Amino acid sequence: MIRMFHVYKNYPNKIQALRDINIHIKKGEFIFLVGATGAGKSTFLKLIYRGIVPTKGQVIVDGINIARLKPGYIPYLRRNIGIVFQDFKLLYDRTVYENISFGLKAIGATNFEIRQQVKKVLNLVGLENKRKIKPHLLSGGEQQKLCIARAIANEPLILLTDEPTGNLDPYTSWEIMKLLFHINIRGTTIIMASHDKLMIDKAKKRVVRLERGRIMEDTERGTY
Amino acid sequence: MIFENTGFYFREALLSFRRSTLMSMAAILSTTTILLIVGIFLLISVNLNLFLENLESQLEIVVYLEDDISQAEINNLKSNITSIDETKEVKFVSKEEAYQNLLKNLGEQKDILSAIEKNPLPASFEIQVKDPKMIEQIANQITKFKKVEEVEYGRETAERLLNFTYIFRIAGMLVLFLLVFASILIISNIIKITVYARRNEIEIMSLVGATAWFVKWPFIIEGFLQGFISSVLSTIILYNFYFFAVNKVHQAIPFLPLVVDNVDLLPMGIAIVLLGSFVGILGSMFSVGKYLNV
Ligand SMILES: Nc1ncnc2c1ncn2[C@@H]1O[C@H](COP(=O)(O)OP(=O)(O)OP(=O)(O)O)[C@@H](O)[C@H]1O
Ligand SMILES: [Mg+2]
Repeated sequence: MIRMFHVYKNYPNKIQALRDINIHIKKGEFIFLVGATGAGKSTFLKLIYRGIVPTKGQVIVDGINIARLKPGYIPYLRRNIGIVFQDFKLLYDRTVYENISFGLKAIGATNFEIRQQVKKVLNLVGLENKRKIKPHLLSGGEQQKLCIARAIANEPLILLTDEPTGNLDPYTSWEIMKLLFHINIRGTTIIMASHDKLMIDKAKKRVVRLERGRIMEDTERGTY
Repeated sequence: MIFENTGFYFREALLSFRRSTLMSMAAILSTTTILLIVGIFLLISVNLNLFLENLESQLEIVVYLEDDISQAEINNLKSNITSIDETKEVKFVSKEEAYQNLLKNLGEQKDILSAIEKNPLPASFEIQVKDPKMIEQIANQITKFKKVEEVEYGRETAERLLNFTYIFRIAGMLVLFLLVFASILIISNIIKITVYARRNEIEIMSLVGATAWFVKWPFIIEGFLQGFISSVLSTIILYNFYFFAVNKVHQAIPFLPLVVDNVDLLPMGIAIVLLGSFVGILGSMFSVGKYLNV
């Protein structure tokens, strides 16, 4: 599903965010991306949805070389990828419902499809009775769930989540983890950047550890 | 592509007016003000131009004829002069008419003439030309005709006047150009601010996989509406204000020539509306482009 060959990413300020990354992520896998702050986790995720292009090397997503992707095709790549951002990126002047329908409308879904899908994902994350309120009235965990709901609304092949349990209590974190496992079992490939030792140790999934831009460890059923 | 989702684009554009009413109002208000300034300058400059044209049209060529000219020769000469393309109006003034004119001009002092027995004034043609710049050339051409005693067109005055109007027009054009350029910059920056306020929306849309045009259309429509409303508003204000001002001026100076014909004023209104609308469209298109593709 995702392959990287000798990928380097330098930012304009000469920071080497990623160095010589080689990885193969198969369809349906669940991967924890761990590492200290600044290790390059978000950068790794950005490469996959082509928020950035590699300075050197190849990134292949679902058979497509993202560096050679023409700008006109980027939207179609992104329709296969759901993203839960570290900083949420919710629209605070729209309701919970509209935050999800907005994204679906943007990719050309019909009104009927939109109603169906929004209802389905809101049910899945347990926010159906909050659909009419604005996100700033939601708790941190609920906002996180809304982000997940939005990310999976069009049933993507890949789900990228950037510290989705960042500032949550262990109970809510575990709730979100269960939600992600549930999505994973239905066939979605999930990459989750995280610092959450408790969850990672408990989950027993593949762990990829980044250190100053390099992959230092890649273990099946790993721990933090 | 636009046809599929036209309804959605318009709804989004109008919704954003509603969501950020204050922002939109501020944008419309400032754009209206800028366009008012452009409009005021346009009105001043067309009136100035009319004034200059009036000045220039007072330039004329006077052709004095020899005393022994016959009626047939006069007719012949007149048709020769008229057939020069650049002449607009050719008026014959006979010896007698010239004398009467002089009498009229002298008024009280007409007794001076009683000392002279014979009418000393020559007959003449007074010629108005289409393009004042051609006056010298035309005068030279007429000099060559038979029975022409002398050709006069106030060479110095004409040159000075033409120089003056030329400089005035160039300066006017320059100011107009700068003003339009500045207004384009200001309006597109106002739009940039309204787009900046919604950069999150743009970013999210493009991250979930919306195509560039899908993101752009609502903004283009909004930018167009903003520009269009502002320019129509400023045109209406200008129109009313202008006729009010024209009335006041005419009360004070009745015969001052001013542009009041709608045929002359309409193009300016249209120009302002086009300017506002186009800058609105292009401004939002480029501004959105900046936040696209993350
Ligand atoms: N747009 C950018 N321009 C310049 N430098 C950047 C940019 N984005 C990230 N960096 C730098 O690249 C390095 C890796 O950043 P990245 O965001 O990938 O880290 P991270 O592992 O996600 O950290 P965190 O756990 O704090 O989210 C950091 O040193 C960061 O300062
Ligand atoms: Mg990060």
